[in-house]
Amino acid sequence: MEFYLIDLVQYLVDGILTGLLYAVVALAFIVVYRSGKILNLAQGEVVIFMAYIIWTLFNSALIPFWLAIVLTLIAAALLGLGIERFIFRPLIGQPSWAIIIISVGLMMLIQGVTQVIWGGGERPFPTIFPESPVIIGELVFTSSIFWGGIISLFILVGLTFLFGKTRWGLKLTAVAEDHKVAQSMGISVSRSMGNAWMIGCVLASFAAVVFLNGQALTFDAATIGLHALPVVLLAGLESISGAFIAGIIVGVGESYAAAYLDPLTDGAMSQAFPYLLMLLVLIIRPQGIFGWKIIERV
Amino acid sequence: MALLPCGVFFTSYQTDMAYTHTWRQRACLAAFLVFLFALPVIFGVRIIAMVNMAAIVSIAVVGLQITTGYAGQINLGQSAFMGMGAFVCASLAVNFNLPFWITIPAGGLGGAVLGIVFGIPALRIKGFYLAMTTIAAQIIFPLIIMHMPEVVFGGAVGLSLDPAKLGNITFDTDISLFYLIISVAVIMIFLAFNIVRGRIGRAMIAVRDNDIAAEIMGVNIFSYKTLAFAIGAMYAGIAGGLWAYYIRFVGADQFTLYFSVWYVGMIIVGGMGSILGAILGTIFIRGLVEILTVMAPIMVENFPSIGGPGLWFAGTNIILGGAIILFVIFEPRGLNHRWRIARTQFRIWPYPHL
Repeated sequence: MEFYLIDLVQYLVDGILTGLLYAVVALAFIVVYRSGKILNLAQGEVVIFMAYIIWTLFNSALIPFWLAIVLTLIAAALLGLGIERFIFRPLIGQPSWAIIIISVGLMMLIQGVTQVIWGGGERPFPTIFPESPVIIGELVFTSSIFWGGIISLFILVGLTFLFGKTRWGLKLTAVAEDHKVAQSMGISVSRSMGNAWMIGCVLASFAAVVFLNGQALTFDAATIGLHALPVVLLAGLESISGAFIAGIIVGVGESYAAAYLDPLTDGAMSQAFPYLLMLLVLIIRPQGIFGWKIIERV
Repeated sequence: MALLPCGVFFTSYQTDMAYTHTWRQRACLAAFLVFLFALPVIFGVRIIAMVNMAAIVSIAVVGLQITTGYAGQINLGQSAFMGMGAFVCASLAVNFNLPFWITIPAGGLGGAVLGIVFGIPALRIKGFYLAMTTIAAQIIFPLIIMHMPEVVFGGAVGLSLDPAKLGNITFDTDISLFYLIISVAVIMIFLAFNIVRGRIGRAMIAVRDNDIAAEIMGVNIFSYKTLAFAIGAMYAGIAGGLWAYYIRFVGADQFTLYFSVWYVGMIIVGGMGSILGAILGTIFIRGLVEILTVMAPIMVENFPSIGGPGLWFAGTNIILGGAIILFVIFEPRGLNHRWRIARTQFRIWPYPHL
């Protein structure tokens, strides 16, 4: 393979854009985690469940495009509230293994429910972004990745603003830091957790739209959730803006590994890279780059 | 602790620690073992095939119980460790023609090595961080298998094995394999009961309940956490070896995260921190799956309007997911706890239970 500088730039920008999308899925994790130390392993399944709902809404002839978007957002919010109310709220104050395992149970449950409602088989996901590639100078991008990456950027900035500056978001940040203190300051912890879940599910449906734009929708796409795990851990479980940087690191690393290491390792390196990075982070700095270091008292 | 029958007391430590305390318990245990080995005489081949599968899975789940239930180290990679055992076992059998009594323990060793590698981060991290490293094991494992030279693990094709042989006996039917599998399972489960009530098991329980306190008490956390992973993964490896001889084919896609999740579900349903719970959970979940497998064609035939077979198989996910969620919320101590209550009630009847 010959080496061209323009390839280097193309892979870099590709990596950054894909990384921004990973960051959005990672944010869905992080927002939910902050609300109550809940690591939702079923995030990938939530993405897929929303993808099927979007497929149903956008393929229905009766519903106009704008209404489909509104209905998707409402469905996402309801799903988030439902999961919080019936599955995670009974577990407040339970040990952390119970929360991990119930999220695993939720994973199976959503898989089963999706299969029962929509059945197996492939179906074409609606093309929401145009299919023709975006060309800037000598660089060529898939349009869903390009627009998705740009929208992700706005989402990241918006969420950083929301959690750092607005009253509503600061309540969620207070809950993230300490449930008891937040409660004694007059913030409803359970309502905040519900809100966090709503944001999480809305982000998941955005991720579904971008990742699956114009592609085949099958159940295997749930691996998006696993793809975001290295980003979450690299960022640190509490950091909103960290997800942004970690997403870019993982995206660019993956993109370069795919371009320059895969030919040497028979295609294994780009898949293994994020997880190897994750293992390294866990061993060297378990709280991630921007996570909160938790001091344990006995 | 469960209540002992009236009039049973101990005068020495040995009798206190014994497996069985009364002649009735001994008789029941003996009768159970006889019943277990007489199963092929009583039931047909179909049932025996189900028992074989349940027995193999129960070994892996008992191992997971030691790592997760006793030592408190959450492990979502048990299926990868099992796969490692299966591949090591199959590779030795195919490339070097070694007999099964070498390859299966070697598979256990292979599983243990992988378990230690991914368990080492447990020194610094715990809870869901640890769950993450074991998920990473689950994702990296098929990549290792697929991209090793084809001679070693068969690459993308997988490995096919000849049946296990011992002298003139060839283990190639469900019935003959039943005796091989059930003997290994009985030995492994017996060992597990011993591991958890001895020094190692108690140290693990101390680490699970509070690792910082355990360290202050003089328990070497690093070695016990590593040991917990090694033992659990060794059980998985041995189960994988049996699996290789049972299915006679191993491929990377047989050992996915999906199965690890099932194993975790089994220890939750059975009850965390109990070997008996692991076995009960395995039987309960495997039983449900087998019932659904049998029922699905019948339901499709009688109620075709509801949906095809895919619908009923999707139902297994709903049942397992639902069972995990309901057990965690309403009975986190699992079936084992219910069994204890039932036993105690039986002993103190007609008085109400404690």
